[in-house]
Amino acid sequence: MTLARSLRSALPGVSAREWDQSNNDVLGLGGTPEVLIRPVSTEEVSQILTWAGEEGVGVLPLGSGRHVGPVGGGKFVALETSLLSGVDEYEPADLTITSGTGTTFSTVDATLREHGQWAPFDSPGVNERSMGGFVSEASHGPLWAGYGSLRNHVLGATLVTGDGRVLRLGGKVVKNVAGYDLLRPVVGARGRLGILTSVCLRAFPLPAHERVLVLKGAKLTSLIEPALLAGTAPVLPVSIVVVGQLSALDGSSALVLRLHGAESTVDADQSAIEKHLGIPLDRLAEQEADGCLTEIRDRGGLEPRCVEVSVLPSRLSQVVAAADEVGAAKAVIDSYAGRLRMGSSDMSADAVSTFRGAVESLGGALRVTRWDGVTRPKDTSCRGAELQIAQRLESIFDPAGVLWPARQ
Amino acid sequence: MTQTLTSRVADRLRAIVGEDQVITNPDRLVAYESDGLTAYRVVPRAVVLPETTDQVSEVLRVMHGEGIEVVPRGAGTGLSGGALPTPDSVIVGTARMNRILSIDEQNRLAKVQPGVVNARLTEATAPYGLYYAPDPASQSTCTLGGNVAENSGGPHCLKYGVTSRYVTGLTVVMADGEVVRLGGAGLEAVHGLDLVGLFVGSEGCFGIATEIEVRLLPKVESIRTLLGIFDTMEAAGHAVTDIIGSGLMPAAVEIVDNATIVAVEASVFSAGYPVDAGAALVVEFDGTEAGLDDDADRAEQCCLSAGATKVIRATSDEERIALWKGRKKAFGAMGRIAPDLLVQDATVPRTRLPEVLARITEIGREYDLKIANVFHAGDGNLHPNILFDRQNQEELERVERASREIMTLCVSVGGTITGEHGVGVDKRAYMSLVYNEVEMDMLRSVRRVFDPDGRLNPGKVVQ
Repeated sequence: MTLARSLRSALPGVSAREWDQSNNDVLGLGGTPEVLIRPVSTEEVSQILTWAGEEGVGVLPLGSGRHVGPVGGGKFVALETSLLSGVDEYEPADLTITSGTGTTFSTVDATLREHGQWAPFDSPGVNERSMGGFVSEASHGPLWAGYGSLRNHVLGATLVTGDGRVLRLGGKVVKNVAGYDLLRPVVGARGRLGILTSVCLRAFPLPAHERVLVLKGAKLTSLIEPALLAGTAPVLPVSIVVVGQLSALDGSSALVLRLHGAESTVDADQSAIEKHLGIPLDRLAEQEADGCLTEIRDRGGLEPRCVEVSVLPSRLSQVVAAADEVGAAKAVIDSYAGRLRMGSSDMSADAVSTFRGAVESLGGALRVTRWDGVTRPKDTSCRGAELQIAQRLESIFDPAGVLWPARQ
Repeated sequence: MTQTLTSRVADRLRAIVGEDQVITNPDRLVAYESDGLTAYRVVPRAVVLPETTDQVSEVLRVMHGEGIEVVPRGAGTGLSGGALPTPDSVIVGTARMNRILSIDEQNRLAKVQPGVVNARLTEATAPYGLYYAPDPASQSTCTLGGNVAENSGGPHCLKYGVTSRYVTGLTVVMADGEVVRLGGAGLEAVHGLDLVGLFVGSEGCFGIATEIEVRLLPKVESIRTLLGIFDTMEAAGHAVTDIIGSGLMPAAVEIVDNATIVAVEASVFSAGYPVDAGAALVVEFDGTEAGLDDDADRAEQCCLSAGATKVIRATSDEERIALWKGRKKAFGAMGRIAPDLLVQDATVPRTRLPEVLARITEIGREYDLKIANVFHAGDGNLHPNILFDRQNQEELERVERASREIMTLCVSVGGTITGEHGVGVDKRAYMSLVYNEVEMDMLRSVRRVFDPDGRLNPGKVVQ
């Protein structure tokens, strides 16, 4: 019996259809799922994972499908969360919003903006991502400096484990220490601990005023020092980025700072930062600023091949120097977080592997966030006892290894 | 009944940490019979005070080999019984692990041993223009190790977040003595699960953190502090909702109720709050000097619109300290109006605060108990404090019934049973209000990942 028939026989009410082979190119899949399943509820997700465990087939979770790496080996099905969509609960005065994980980030953010609030996250392509994919990846952009990591702002979630157990994690309040914080490893687990069906996110008031300041420079490396200095100013910008060859600035490299607050506060902040740096900064007009911020947000995250590096901020210059072969000239460097993103269509696996070695020797880590080829280079992985703990944790959330078939 | 430690085991421990650092004298052990939650008291078999990661590892290897339970303990300021010994246990105290190992000004990081007092880290980093943000009320005595175990908050976590936001890496000694390094600054891109985030708040059940790497923040330039006086608690609650809903981001929003005000004003901590006020609201903003007055003006308007009878603004550091005094000294002041105090801790969605507070008042009335409320109103974290006399058994039973009713109420409006004190032994009975059996099983399973034999801080969080 085919998997599609087995599924229809076991779960006749569940929406399932043949996999469209043309999606393989879009998603960069190494193998082909036998069927595409589109559950409409947490209960259906639970039934599907229970069925998959009994059949011994893998389940590949798909959100918006933008960040799927190569998979393959053995039979597997794709589980798409797009029908788990919609804002379930939003109380503006509580600054919390709960949505299905098939909801796009832009839908959630637009709902918040209607009430003068927003979700301050600027990772590549964030608007098109599903909330499930967004939370599973836990990627963040340079707004981390001002607003912190996504991990601190996911307040609650519903998770279906690999064997179909439904867990409500966290809640919808900002402070919550009732029991071990199982939500923390789930956020950023890339679906290895289960499939998220709803998430509760903390919202923030929209800033009254935004100002984007730039310092142009001929060379990327010459901008890292002022960027690091900006991070020690008495006023912390909400993002501090060095970016190479920015189209929105006629191909210049630039240090780009964002300030949020009341206009009078932002005026004072700008003065304080300029005094700290000892140089004046150019203020971008609104339209120019929008183009600049969009390019910074998506650069190094949507190209066919992308890598992300983390390192202590003080070692960024050395990392950039080691990154020539993988496109450092167009890198996006979040100097406050010690992060660097790069993307291109022709970065070679060998060059990335060599670069990873250099990053690790500097005490940092490299992660391949997108790769369109079969020979995907390896990520920096945790090792030893830490790895064993992670593996034991995975085994209790997904005892039969159903999730992410042949994952890397 | 507490068992004494055999001299063979005690000698092995002394060989590791030194003669004076193993306490077996019953008179001295009494000091370790409880933490800040004195309602529960058990004398441990012994107390061991190691100084280094290696010593902790060796001590835990001995305990593991002997099958002896271990209870980790920081400063003992916890309010949920998280450091309560069991009769079979040996306490491993971190008091002597009190060194700040490094301060990295450029990367805004510090590495500390677990026995470093919270406020001392901020003092030590001040010359670099930095500070450590989480500020639990007990910050002058509580330690970073305890803060990690409990994922501690504090008044300013409304804006700056709780401990887990600041811990970047940990060295941990597991129950069997194995030393494990989790996370680390610069390693955020590692392809792995957030085990640091999972460890923080694990209440000593997963291991003992022996080195803690934390992120520091630049010191704020200026502060504005307001005190709003209200006739009713409900009006103060509405002011909080209006302030947050208006888009302002205060650093702290704290409320004390009439019962607390009366207690404070009658004590040596008198702060000048009017004793006939229904509630006092402290609101604080920090950041760049320019703009703070605008924020304070808007908050003042919110208070007045919600019915504040008076709003006072501090114009100096001395005045700021005075405005805070009624809030910060509240717990100390309550000691004079009842022999015992049960400091409760729960969180509710902010918009549900007025109705929850009204119902808590009714519960106090129904059970004939005095309940004084002090809370972090900005993030809905309530501390209904029940005043009682433990010698009165009948009253003690009423306290327990009222506590359960308050917890049930908070959960029923979408809240939870603890916002910052942890579960410990005190809230264990309420876990079923929040979690179903499948979820409780998962918590137990995760605990076994770290401590398969369940000998590390037994009886805490989940059974």
